[in-house]
Amino acid sequence: MKIENSIIKKLRALLGERLIGVNIQKERRIFIKVTREAFKETIKNLVNRLGFKHLSTITGIDLGKELEVIYHLSYKGAIELSLKVSLPKNEAKLPTVTDVIPGALLYEREVHDLLGVIFEGHPDLSPLLLPEKWPRDVYPMRKEENLESLRKAIFENSHVEGL
Amino acid sequence: MYTLTSILQILVYPGILFLLLLAFLYEWIDRKFLAKVQNRYGPLYTGPSGILQPFADFLKLLSKEDIVPTATDKILFSLTPIIYSVLPLIALFIIPIESQIAIISFEGDLIFVMFIFTLIIVTVYLAGLGSMSRFSLIGGVRAALQMLGYEIPMGLAMIGPAIIAGSLSISSIVHWQSVNSVWIMFLQPLGFIILTVCLLAELEYVPFDIPEAETEIVAGWRTEFSGRKLALIKLGKDLELVLSSALLTSLYLGGAQPAWILPPVILFIIKTMFIVLLFTFLRGIFARFRIDQTVSGMWRYLIPLAILQVIFIQLGVGR
Amino acid sequence: MWRGFKTSYRSVIRVPFGPQHPALKEPENFTFEIDGDIVINVKPRIGYNHRGIEKAFEQRTYIQNLYLAERICGICSDAHTTCYAQAIEDLLGVEAPPRAKYIRVIIAELERIHSHSLWLGIAAHEIGFDTLFMYYWRDREAVMNLLEMISGNRVHYAMNTIGGVRRDIRSEMIPKIKKGLDFLEGRMKRYMEIVKQDLTISKRTEGVGILKQKDAMDLCAVGPTLRASGIKNDVRADDPYAAYDEIPFNVITYDGCDVLSRILVRSEEIFESIRIIRYALDHIPDGMTRIRVPMAVPPGEAVSRVEAPRGELIHYARSDGTTKPERYKVRSPTLGNIPALCKMLLGCHIADIPIILAGIDPCFACMDRITFIDVRKDEKWVWSMQQLRRHTKR
Repeated sequence: MKIENSIIKKLRALLGERLIGVNIQKERRIFIKVTREAFKETIKNLVNRLGFKHLSTITGIDLGKELEVIYHLSYKGAIELSLKVSLPKNEAKLPTVTDVIPGALLYEREVHDLLGVIFEGHPDLSPLLLPEKWPRDVYPMRKEENLESLRKAIFENSHVEGL
Repeated sequence: MYTLTSILQILVYPGILFLLLLAFLYEWIDRKFLAKVQNRYGPLYTGPSGILQPFADFLKLLSKEDIVPTATDKILFSLTPIIYSVLPLIALFIIPIESQIAIISFEGDLIFVMFIFTLIIVTVYLAGLGSMSRFSLIGGVRAALQMLGYEIPMGLAMIGPAIIAGSLSISSIVHWQSVNSVWIMFLQPLGFIILTVCLLAELEYVPFDIPEAETEIVAGWRTEFSGRKLALIKLGKDLELVLSSALLTSLYLGGAQPAWILPPVILFIIKTMFIVLLFTFLRGIFARFRIDQTVSGMWRYLIPLAILQVIFIQLGVGR
Repeated sequence: MWRGFKTSYRSVIRVPFGPQHPALKEPENFTFEIDGDIVINVKPRIGYNHRGIEKAFEQRTYIQNLYLAERICGICSDAHTTCYAQAIEDLLGVEAPPRAKYIRVIIAELERIHSHSLWLGIAAHEIGFDTLFMYYWRDREAVMNLLEMISGNRVHYAMNTIGGVRRDIRSEMIPKIKKGLDFLEGRMKRYMEIVKQDLTISKRTEGVGILKQKDAMDLCAVGPTLRASGIKNDVRADDPYAAYDEIPFNVITYDGCDVLSRILVRSEEIFESIRIIRYALDHIPDGMTRIRVPMAVPPGEAVSRVEAPRGELIHYARSDGTTKPERYKVRSPTLGNIPALCKMLLGCHIADIPIILAGIDPCFACMDRITFIDVRKDEKWVWSMQQLRRHTKR
């Protein structure tokens, strides 16, 4: 637990008030939450100064009123730190992290495809999993979309070529 | 009377019908032996030990739908399978099978056979071109590229026996070997090896099967053919196998010669079967070279060796 | 016919690879821009095996999701169920009993042997070496027989459950398992010699598909792809789960950074797996194989990681106290290797594309999982009618 605690201490020193939530769930599992404004700075510090060089994946969750994006970073392959950021649903924008971690390229595209989060500064946010002619504002992983609404989206647009 | 015999010779034995039967037989040998090398069964059910399988495959393909994609060049697409299957037949008439003299033999027919080999590859290239699909184009181009690599050493290795026998006719070379009771393979082992490698490349067998590399370009130049055209192409491939083994036999292994009471044709079949087994064995134990590795390897190694072989002959070694 | 002729002297041709192609066992689309024989740009498009699994997770109970997790992939099915079971056990705050942990290790390592020998056969096939392909797959039957003996299935073993394992490895099975392992070890040693010595294999794989160490780290590659570039990361060693903290083993790395190194890493990992299984069989503790778990999962979240045969597999679970998960995220190793793959493909010959693609051991079924209902054939997405016409008529 020593390393986990020291990481939290360093983060507290760097972020102060902007570190909203901390939870060391068990050995090698840390969950923290930061404000949207502090997000990019936190990522830069975690990657460059604290040694969290590997990004496992980026998760997006629809919590009803807001969206939450979670970045899962790992320290030397051992400690997994999950960094949570909340976004309002109607203004789902976040700065991209591909300049810090090139490997985040596809994960951000995936979250963009399925939840509609726009990553500002991403080199290429074209659809990764959904077809090109998929209707613009239907984001499959959002809670308001269920099987019925998705079926409707496909069939109503079936006249569109390429769907 | 004479004309009737010639016609029968050309059509039945040792002509077209006989050669077609040989083609099917050798394909079966190839498939069965390869299967044994790879620890599986090979053809099993059709006929005893699957011997009728190639014939059954041929019949099946004849009965399948012949799909012609709209984008193809119709003339090339329809003609190339026919030409591809006929060319080896023509060349086979020049090789002595039934006796020491072939059905057609004239001074310089060795060069004619070389010419046929080149024509075959040109046909392959045209087939790939006529199919107008990405995979066929790449396959056709690769076949042509590969020929750039092996054509010269193949020519040199074929000339070696001609130099010794003092004649450019395959029948004369066979005759020379029987008169001198020696197989040229023992006199020019280097030439034998070089010709084997080049024929492997010409037949598009592993390690030189780049033109039809399944995992990269589907089926290469043969991708778009189906039904009757594919049947003809497969037949052409088998006839090429017969041609290659017959050529190798005649030039280096003594060809069709009588031995004790056995007629020449039996000996011919035994020797060519041995060559087919050799080809198949080589096919089973290598991986596939890339096209640039093939061509550069041939220019760097095969051609100097072939030239060396010719120099040896001129110096008196292997006479 | 050749689009590039009009615009520039050197023609750039676009070659589509997929979605249906003999080199790809599962559909995926890459568009390569080639100049002559060299690749100058790669654009991947995935999503052809998209089955809507993550959305489906949200609509099933935790026990039903166990079976769904298994069917994410056929070859790494056990890795997915182990990861899932661990995530839910974390949420519940329980741990599987020691004997169950050892059995999980044994099954996971058997699966690793199975997956690696399958891949080695496919790699041999990609470079045209069909004989080796046949041999590898023949000996793979030995592993599948062992798995069938233990679990009753050749794939989808259904051994894991929340709270432990469903079947036990009885003591009379142990000598048979050991015999099978001895046989495998002998054969794999022979094949490894062939791979190291054969000229044609090394010409096709050495120096091909280079991924430098720094690129591997930046692009967040995982698994044997990462370890073949000299980086010693393995979830079993760094973040031990199940019984891996009690079993000594080596993490295999090679410095070659090319396809040959990936082949060698996977071959040696087979030997390591055999050693791990032997150790586990000798030291397996007695006791229960599963514990009863409560039906209600308290609210919370958990991250679970497992070293699948292809690399790091990570699951994230969030529960809100109901019987169904609020969110379940799966990121399988192949997706993590795609950016690295694109980097590897730049500057290679066309003929090397299949073996480089195969080098990351792609499992696209694992990779495309997010939401929607697939009711159409895939070709329409890639080629609209104009593009299709353009491709053929030229």
